[in-house]
Amino acid sequence: MKKTLKIVFTLLMIFVMIFTMAACGSDEPAADNEFDLSAAEWSEIVEAARGTTVTFYGWGGDENRNSWLNSTVADYVKDNYDITLEVVGMNIDEILAKLSGEKQAGSESGSIDMIWINGENFYSAKANGLLYGPFTAQLPNMEKYIDLDDPETLNDFCMPVEGYEAPYARAQMIMLYDSAKVTDVPANAQEFLEFCKANPGKVTYPALPDFTGSAFVRNLVYELCGWEQFQTMAADKETVRAAIQPAIEYLKELNPYLWNEGKTFPDSSTTVNSMFADGELLFHMSYGPFSAASGIADGSYADTVKTFVFDNGTIGNTNYMAIAFNSPNKAGAMVVIDAILSAEIQLTQYATLKELPVVDNSKLSAEELASFNAVEIGQGVLTQEELLAHRLPEMPAALVPIIEEIWLEEVVGK
Amino acid sequence: MNKKAFYVPVLTITFIAIIVPVLLMVLWSFVQRWPWPLLLPEDYSMRTIRELLFGSANAFHLIVSSVSLSMTVALLGTVIGTLTARASEFYTFRGKSLIRFASLLPLIVPGTVLAMGLQIVFIRLHLTDTVAGVILIHLVSSLPYCITIMTDATRALGPQLEEQAIILGANSFKAFWLASFPNMIPAFLASLNMGFIISYSQYFTTLIIGGGRVKTIAMVLFPYIQSGDRPLMSAYSSFFIFSGLFVFMILELLIKKLSKETISNETEC
Repeated sequence: MKKTLKIVFTLLMIFVMIFTMAACGSDEPAADNEFDLSAAEWSEIVEAARGTTVTFYGWGGDENRNSWLNSTVADYVKDNYDITLEVVGMNIDEILAKLSGEKQAGSESGSIDMIWINGENFYSAKANGLLYGPFTAQLPNMEKYIDLDDPETLNDFCMPVEGYEAPYARAQMIMLYDSAKVTDVPANAQEFLEFCKANPGKVTYPALPDFTGSAFVRNLVYELCGWEQFQTMAADKETVRAAIQPAIEYLKELNPYLWNEGKTFPDSSTTVNSMFADGELLFHMSYGPFSAASGIADGSYADTVKTFVFDNGTIGNTNYMAIAFNSPNKAGAMVVIDAILSAEIQLTQYATLKELPVVDNSKLSAEELASFNAVEIGQGVLTQEELLAHRLPEMPAALVPIIEEIWLEEVVGK
Repeated sequence: MNKKAFYVPVLTITFIAIIVPVLLMVLWSFVQRWPWPLLLPEDYSMRTIRELLFGSANAFHLIVSSVSLSMTVALLGTVIGTLTARASEFYTFRGKSLIRFASLLPLIVPGTVLAMGLQIVFIRLHLTDTVAGVILIHLVSSLPYCITIMTDATRALGPQLEEQAIILGANSFKAFWLASFPNMIPAFLASLNMGFIISYSQYFTTLIIGGGRVKTIAMVLFPYIQSGDRPLMSAYSSFFIFSGLFVFMILELLIKKLSKETISNETEC
């Protein structure tokens, strides 16, 4: 009895080992029989993409964006290119974890085609070879609609894009207040401090490393230390610490007047958003430049909510679309990305999602420009011109985590 | 001790800790605005219900795929759990205690670590982005519970009844089917429920192995929870809880009916 069991067990182990090894060996290399994509003509790429399916992975927490992608964009690429767009909601951390797992396992053909990405994530994904490229030079709509010399087209958080991602939408930091409760809004960091003193416990910002909280602190750093020096700063903690010292002092001075006396901060921008919507806070900040309009429209904000920015401007950045290194349908992904760059889709994104479009107004035809200008963006917002006139560039991606670290060490609870 | 003096506080605490938050969540699903310090919401709307039913995620499709996936896991888990329990209770073999211990390992290793490690193996086996892969990884998480439940039940029942049946001429399967199975129905129910709920609530493992292609309610729910849209996340959470409860009720009914039938069959024989 025992002997048989042993034999069965050994056989089983051998079987498992062979199975695993066979599976490793059968990883067929990416479809080499396809043509060389990087040298192909655009018409060939469109032809190759016809009838295929493209997956688009990105954050899925915005119901409006999900339905826009699933209806407007999906219908557009289906009608024009016979491509089926499949939208998959997944956080960027998990997308990158999945990709690096696939890279480690040597998988040549994954399941992710397009990725919604920017900033630090783009930097690390590109550095680790998780992205396919360069591809943007082959997209006709890049040339047709996008300002190719715009620093935000060339650089993402000061990191050279080098054709590995194409712009998707533009974000900009804005501040919100309820005009029924607040009359005077701060125009700069000094007035912001006065504002907090006048309304103790009614103002806060999300704890870093929250995306929005981090951007707000960087914005205050820009206010107090100037923004130019950071564009070329080395990613060295002591250099950064010295450069942002005035801002650190300022934030510490601010703490006693904040919510819960600055001993703790809300964990995320969504918590701050809820507190603002409930009237617990008088001040809110957002990376969605037109979020006042959407909040008022879905009823979560009072009708009297309004937007403002500091006189010296606020940080703006662009988010992008990239292609995974092991995308099974790179041609299809390129066609969909090109479609999203078109004035037609950018216009619907501006109108339905209230996102700043990435198209260059000077490249638009008179007709297209008129339809952009005709969009009713909603209540409580600043105009596109006002926003773009107050737009500051992001700092290098590598500085962002350093500032977050210093904030944790020196500001919170101090 | 007075029975009432014990039950009343326990029931009150249960009510406050479990029922009230769930009711609040159902209410939140219909809230449009609820500013402090109002006791009741200022405005109500059906927006979340519309988005849930007719939005980008197809609720009906989701519930069918989610429930059938988790039911498969629960059934497989219970079968494997029963077999493991019988092996470790009724037979002696070398490494038995090791296997018993190993069956609990997935509980000790954090799920995230497990998923990240298994991801690479699954990629090589071409199991990522497939339903089969997700069922397998859910099984890993559910099995410790199924095995523990079935082991306790098997031990409590003992081999005597089956031995009796075999002496009376039944083959070993028939002995199990007629003697042990009807007596173990409550344990099967517990194991099925446990396997179901563990699989139903998996997020990270589904995400990593399913790669976003295998859609379950938890998968769609999670991004909304992060988005901070409270009415929408309440609507999704209520949908999640009540769909799970619904499956529990059906299971319970089925099993009750089944146990009645087997018992009446037995008496007929």
